[in-house]
Amino acid sequence: MQVSSIELDSVSKRFGSVEVISELSLTIHSGEFIAFLGPSGCGKSTLLRMIAGLETVNGGEIRIGGERVDHLPPGARGVAMVFQHYALYPHMTVFDNLAFGLKNIGTPHDEIARRIEEAARILEIGHLLQRKPGQLSGGQRQRVAIGRALVKDPKAYLFDEPLSNLDAALRVRTRVELARLHQQTRATTIFVTHDQVEAMTLASRIVVMNARKVEQVGTPMDIYGRPATEFVARFVGSPAMNFLPVTIRDRAGLATAVLGDGSTIDTDVPLDILPTGGDLRVGIRAEAIHVRPDGAVPGKVEVVERLGDRTHLHIRLTDGNTLVAEDKGVSQVQPGDTVPLAVEGATAHLFDDAGLAYHARQ
Amino acid sequence: MAASEHIVGRGIGNKLILLSVILVAVIWMLPIAWTLLLSFKPNSELMISTASAFHPPYTLKNYTDIFQSSGVFRWLWNSAVVSIGVTAGILILSSLAGYGFARAEFKGRDIIFVLVLLGLAVPEQAVIIARHQIFSDLKMHNTYPAIILPGLSSAFGVFLMTQYFKAIPKDIDEAAMLDNASRFKIFWKVLLPLTVPAQATLGIFSFLGAWNDYLWPLISATKPEMFTITVGMASTQTNFAQSEGLGFLMAQAIFAGLPVFIVYLFFQKYIVRAVAGAAIN
Repeated sequence: MQVSSIELDSVSKRFGSVEVISELSLTIHSGEFIAFLGPSGCGKSTLLRMIAGLETVNGGEIRIGGERVDHLPPGARGVAMVFQHYALYPHMTVFDNLAFGLKNIGTPHDEIARRIEEAARILEIGHLLQRKPGQLSGGQRQRVAIGRALVKDPKAYLFDEPLSNLDAALRVRTRVELARLHQQTRATTIFVTHDQVEAMTLASRIVVMNARKVEQVGTPMDIYGRPATEFVARFVGSPAMNFLPVTIRDRAGLATAVLGDGSTIDTDVPLDILPTGGDLRVGIRAEAIHVRPDGAVPGKVEVVERLGDRTHLHIRLTDGNTLVAEDKGVSQVQPGDTVPLAVEGATAHLFDDAGLAYHARQ
Repeated sequence: MAASEHIVGRGIGNKLILLSVILVAVIWMLPIAWTLLLSFKPNSELMISTASAFHPPYTLKNYTDIFQSSGVFRWLWNSAVVSIGVTAGILILSSLAGYGFARAEFKGRDIIFVLVLLGLAVPEQAVIIARHQIFSDLKMHNTYPAIILPGLSSAFGVFLMTQYFKAIPKDIDEAAMLDNASRFKIFWKVLLPLTVPAQATLGIFSFLGAWNDYLWPLISATKPEMFTITVGMASTQTNFAQSEGLGFLMAQAIFAGLPVFIVYLFFQKYIVRAVAGAAIN
């Protein structure tokens, strides 16, 4: 088993006059499972393809296992990629699909057979080896695509939105299998996705990208609990974080956010780190807003979403702003009710005009 | 109720379509059946009235006369060489060109592609004098290359293969690149096998086109031993053939069409698919 780090050193990419990746630097540690998360067009797939060698690099360096690879063709970089649409060779059997890459590098026949047998055992595709891709279900094709990567024993695995073509149930199952596979192989893995749940559940670190730049790199709980920017806060978490315009009042060096209706939220954000001018917004996740008799913020319930274990309440405040609150279990609240809301100020964040976040000290 | 009306309506529609298809088939079949019938009649009887075709006597003499014509097997062989040569050449060149236009990135690619497509609009008759002059200057007339080479520039073939290669997801190429395959290996082992349906379509059309070609072989092949079957058959037609040798003429037509008929029998599935595909696309 080869395990290698991947280093991106000020890499840039242009398509014509449009710069899609600008001087991006990132180190992916040996054995790490990292996710590139972001909306469509943010540059995450381009970055992955640059690492794979499928896109040229216009500036900077890429190193895999300490060796500079940005001038090498894809096949010489020692990485394996799983494509969104599987990209299996339709006219070859599953066995031949798995063997193709190994044959191309002159692997002996018995070694090819051994590796395919091992991969087939891990992925439970032994009974499919003589079938062609057209005779397989979506999930089976996905397993074969993973198998094709696995047999190569690569320095790193690159996954380009591999679950997006699967139905919801199969996606969850495959996600768990990928996590299990990584625990077995401990291989360096980059996983590109626009699905925050996939990124949060699979990755040990997440690179959140937006508009062709990195917004934040951190562990899933860092990203969720201390988002660096408003974009990250909005993109990660479901429902999205609530944002309300506020003015700030001093509370022994900490910021108290005053909402439009005059009600207050006592945050733990230090006053001295906040910018002096400009507008601020408070960011609060739905699970930090509850319906409680002693709640200080009144609001009228417009929509009730019952999810079984919890209920999401879409509420309009008296100043016209809206937010989503969470009620545990089966909520008794009905649309049209006016409810008092209690906000856990300790988990609240403040955001400035530029979208930068300010958090409580750790 | 509505559903059953719909089904009844569809049944009537189907019957109308079936009747139309039968009618069109009969219109197509009648001349062939008439040709076949006349080919078994003695020429002397047909000189009096073609209505004699509906009653005996019938004869195979017209066909035996064809076999006694000294060049016929040579012409069949020539046609086979030319048709197979043209078909193989078109398949190889169109596949390579199609792959290039679909996958390679080079300056002026789109302009060159448009120029190739313009070839579709140039009729053979417009260039035939110039072509004749070139082959004459090269002293190539009355050779297989002279009959085959002009047929290889198939704008339709290049267009068809380009579109087919374009329709194959680039992910497949990229997966093969990551699998350490060379560019040629990607073309040969990965992409080309995926174009077999297009190759079949192109191959069938090319073969039939080359077999039935008359104008260029007529100009290029002036020696009887280099005639293709179409030119050879035409050369045996004497003056007043249509009045004095109608049965022989019909037998020749049937004989010349036989190989194409056999090709159709073997490749019927692909021909129907190719024509249907052309109609749908």
